Amino acid sequence: MGYKKFDEQDLAYLKELIRDEERVLAGNEINEEYSHDELSGTSSYPDVVIKVKSAGEISEIMKYAGKHRIPVTPRGAGTGLVGASVAMEHGIMVDTTLMNHILELDEDNLTITVEPGVLLMELAAYVEEHDLFYPPDPGEKSATIGGNISTNAGGMRAVKYGVTRDYVMGLEVVLPDGKITWFGGKVVKNSSGYDLKDLMIGSEGTLGFITKAILKLLPLPKKIISLLVPFPSLQKAIDTVPEIIRSKALPTAVEFMQREVIEDAEEYLGKSFPDKQSDAYLLLKFDGNTTEEVERLYDRVARLCLEQGALDVLISDTEEREESIWKARGAFLEAIKGSTTYMDEVDMVVPRSHVNEMVTYLHSIQKEVEIRIKSFGHAGDGNLHAYVLRDGLSDEVWEQRMHEAMEKIYQKARKLGGQVSGEHGIGFAKKPYLKESLPEASLRLMNGIKKVFDPENILNPHKISEE
Amino acid sequence: MAKLIVHQDKIPDPQKLIALCPFGAMEEQDGKVVIGSGCRMCRMCVKKGPQGAVEYIEEEEGPKIDKSAWKGIVVYVDHVDGDIHPVTYELIGKARELAGVTKEPVYALFMGQGISEKSRELLHYGTDQVYVYDEPELARFQIEPYTAVFEDFIRKVRPSTVLVGATTVGRQLAPRVAARMKTGLTADCTVLEMNADTDLSQIRPAFGGNIMAHIKTPNHRPQMATVRYKVMNAPERMEEVSGEIVPCKISREKLGSHVEVLDIVRKEKEKFIENADVLVVAGRGVKKAEDLDMLRELAGLLGGQLACTRPLAEAGWLDAKYQIGLSGRTVRPKLMITVGVSGAIQFVAGMNHADHIFAVNKDPKAPVFKTAHYCLVGDLYEIIPRLIEKLKGKRGA
Amino acid sequence: MKILVCIKQVPESNRVEVDPVTGVLKRDGAASKMNPYDLYAIETALRIREEKGGTVQVISMGPPQAQQVIREAFAMGADGGVLLSDRKFGGADVLATSYTIAQGIRACGEFDLILCGKQTTDGDTAQVGAEISEWLKIPSVANVTRIQKVENDGITVAMDLPGELEIVKVKYPCLLSVDKDIFQPRLPSYVRKMNTKDREIKVLSLADMEDRDEKHYGLNGSPTQVQKIFPPASNDRKETWEGSGEELADRLFIRLGELKFLAPGPQGGGNSELVAAAAGEKDRRES
Repeated sequence: MGYKKFDEQDLAYLKELIRDEERVLAGNEINEEYSHDELSGTSSYPDVVIKVKSAGEISEIMKYAGKHRIPVTPRGAGTGLVGASVAMEHGIMVDTTLMNHILELDEDNLTITVEPGVLLMELAAYVEEHDLFYPPDPGEKSATIGGNISTNAGGMRAVKYGVTRDYVMGLEVVLPDGKITWFGGKVVKNSSGYDLKDLMIGSEGTLGFITKAILKLLPLPKKIISLLVPFPSLQKAIDTVPEIIRSKALPTAVEFMQREVIEDAEEYLGKSFPDKQSDAYLLLKFDGNTTEEVERLYDRVARLCLEQGALDVLISDTEEREESIWKARGAFLEAIKGSTTYMDEVDMVVPRSHVNEMVTYLHSIQKEVEIRIKSFGHAGDGNLHAYVLRDGLSDEVWEQRMHEAMEKIYQKARKLGGQVSGEHGIGFAKKPYLKESLPEASLRLMNGIKKVFDPENILNPHKISEE
Repeated sequence: MAKLIVHQDKIPDPQKLIALCPFGAMEEQDGKVVIGSGCRMCRMCVKKGPQGAVEYIEEEEGPKIDKSAWKGIVVYVDHVDGDIHPVTYELIGKARELAGVTKEPVYALFMGQGISEKSRELLHYGTDQVYVYDEPELARFQIEPYTAVFEDFIRKVRPSTVLVGATTVGRQLAPRVAARMKTGLTADCTVLEMNADTDLSQIRPAFGGNIMAHIKTPNHRPQMATVRYKVMNAPERMEEVSGEIVPCKISREKLGSHVEVLDIVRKEKEKFIENADVLVVAGRGVKKAEDLDMLRELAGLLGGQLACTRPLAEAGWLDAKYQIGLSGRTVRPKLMITVGVSGAIQFVAGMNHADHIFAVNKDPKAPVFKTAHYCLVGDLYEIIPRLIEKLKGKRGA
Repeated sequence: MKILVCIKQVPESNRVEVDPVTGVLKRDGAASKMNPYDLYAIETALRIREEKGGTVQVISMGPPQAQQVIREAFAMGADGGVLLSDRKFGGADVLATSYTIAQGIRACGEFDLILCGKQTTDGDTAQVGAEISEWLKIPSVANVTRIQKVENDGITVAMDLPGELEIVKVKYPCLLSVDKDIFQPRLPSYVRKMNTKDREIKVLSLADMEDRDEKHYGLNGSPTQVQKIFPPASNDRKETWEGSGEELADRLFIRLGELKFLAPGPQGGGNSELVAAAAGEKDRRES
């Protein structure tokens, strides 16, 4: 089904609607960045970019787009990795970065109400000032909250605190037909029919437009201590992860990292990592309210690691030390990017008990497929990020080997009871893999849901499960 | 001798008093408030506590020194191989101002080798006497002989005040001399004022600049202070000379050293943007890669480095190690000039601690203006070439 | 080789404020940590020990809680530690502090090498190390950015000067103040922390010193006196300049001059060398 080609008349209407020249960008006013997201593999320009300021504006845009069959693509900070915010059918791109106000901090209900364009780092800093804590902690701190909700972003603290979904209590949504409505609210419990709010979370902007979010907050833990644990081999390190989970000590994060990725980060940041004795590390984080409390928490895990053959357990208990480790960890994606010509990513998630098997497998297929793969990830929640690197390969060889590697990785993940994406989403780039991994009935339901919300398929077409 | 006496009967609420102490040095033991070794004698408890609860007692005052026996303000001439560091002139200017209050002479102390010629230069800045120690052992800075000369000078001339530039050399030499003279030394003063009783009021930042402290040296001479470069104003060089050069001698055996200079290696230009004092940052407003040469030249003229934002690094115009931002490097320069930088939060997170931020951008609504101290709304292609021209003109002049 | 490292416990956060009305100092929590600059000195000591053998001791001055930073040094690999703690040491300025530490060092015996961090994050003076070396009558080198060679009679290091590095050999016993980033400090080890849990920390008071005259310690031994503390002038200026490119450039030039960014470079020779270097870079690229 075809869409209407966006023309001068449409532009004139939208300009009249917004009445602010600087918020309506067309033609060569549209920066190159709007044509792709953080991994530029999926690329397509919108015809117009509108920097909206209110749900009302979005509602009017949706009504007009519906009437004229013009596709609309929502976009936050553009930090996605799977092309979910790329305008595959061109048309209108709705940029929410100006809707970046914190509307209400409700200390009686421990909630905060924000507009979708508030950045994760801004939200975190704001609530911290009030001794409160928004636990989801995806690596990309300059992503918008709207984007985080749309992909159900996870991040490093998922082991203990869960993911974005666990902190979204209510959403104001503009539906594809332009209606503005609410799902959920400031209620801790809710058994009132289908949970449409949960349906919106992770829908990657295909069902409706998030214009406000009520988020749940926790009291801020006062003390954070990380343990950097060197192991004699990667195998020993990751074999310890299921043991840590079983020990019930509940770290906030369990990450694994390898020497070569650390070296990329050292090079990228120009800072040396505080330990060099090993090729493989686990990085664990614990939080609590006093040093003593946190020490009690990690003590058992430290002993366990040593029993499992760790070379040592190193303690990071000050701001400087935390920075020397986590700054490196935070730079991994950019650092790997910098170490090759081009790359594609895999964000599969497996049951935690199989993390070690999956990591081992990732290593073995490098040889099998003859392609370089670097991986790191949230070992504690089973979410692994693997990056397939192009290096000097020709177009043809790269395409062929990359797909082969991806196929194999997803196949293995399926076999272990895993899923295609842990936190980056499906967007455009991962659609084929989703199709292969989900039962046919699930796909049918997903497409059916999409039709109920957006019968004309105006909102963010060609994403997730769409044929 | 001074001490604090706690009068338990005058404390209505012990916890409230304890909470007053900024150093956490008070605690309650067996129902009594006691002061522990964390005490810094700030006397906050005396001033802000309940009336009479903590008493400050200065008992058996030691003998007062005779301040009239110490006269003059001396500036240590900081140099490497005879090249006088400009902080020296700034301090001479300050010394003259301070000396005006108490009508004292201003001296310069110059130690080195083959410096007799250079010492004359100091007479153009209004020093009354330049004391010169010119010996082969003093060719390079070495802590032991330099301290010995400084001591020799102080014992002979008895200046009331000693000012030293807080340079690499000054920061080692001044404390060594202060300990030898068993006197006070205040580091990195930002304000100096002379009192009529010849006590020097010294103001310096502490706790990373979060508080300022006003310090005096009431009963010791000389009183010593170090001051960083570019804190005080340099005086104009005068055409005529004034004052005199006083050659000094010191016995050879005092000039022994346990430190031997083996080699002097020229340092490479600062490679890392993290350590640069001055940064020129190129953003997307720069139209082509070649235009970076202009900004590189500007950075060079200001003695700094060129850095960039993420889009430029991603376009390959500059290496990723020159990229500032959340996913790049964090910088804290004294001066930052952003050129055509829009100010995405990604970037701002890596730079907002610069002391002086100048932002050049055509768009008056550019987010970078929220962070900048000076917002220059204009075209970089008009502003930067003109600025470079002016900087070059200054250098030529 | 006997190495001693001087360390200090400092507030965890530098966020202190002075109430402008009451003059009361408000600290952001009472938590403390090891002075971050001292970590570089400990790391340097441990690396020298790893190469040359010997022992690494640490010494600190402060209240009894300061034992915590000595324990931390143990967890990094130090062999022993001493705390100088006495109410009579309170209120010490640079002179009294350095004298107390020098007395404490004497009470602990002889050392070949004493290492200090560049400065502390609370006092910020960077003077205590040099004054200790004077009291001990030993040579000292500050701004050490590199350890070149460790020999039996002395140590060769690079001292950072503006524009150049001076390579010097210092005979033992001596004191070095090391710069930040000389080495990346290691993290404390849980294993070592457990193994040194019961290790004794010697606590010395005035009574243990060779000089027991309390006039030489604490506030009484301090020539400088703090008259008052006050908040710094706030730096939240903001100016928007509009005009032609020429006007803006001229204003910028003048303001840079006022802010002293146009003054000659650090060694008085002007920044001509940097300019030449920058120009040279450009020439090379073009050719």
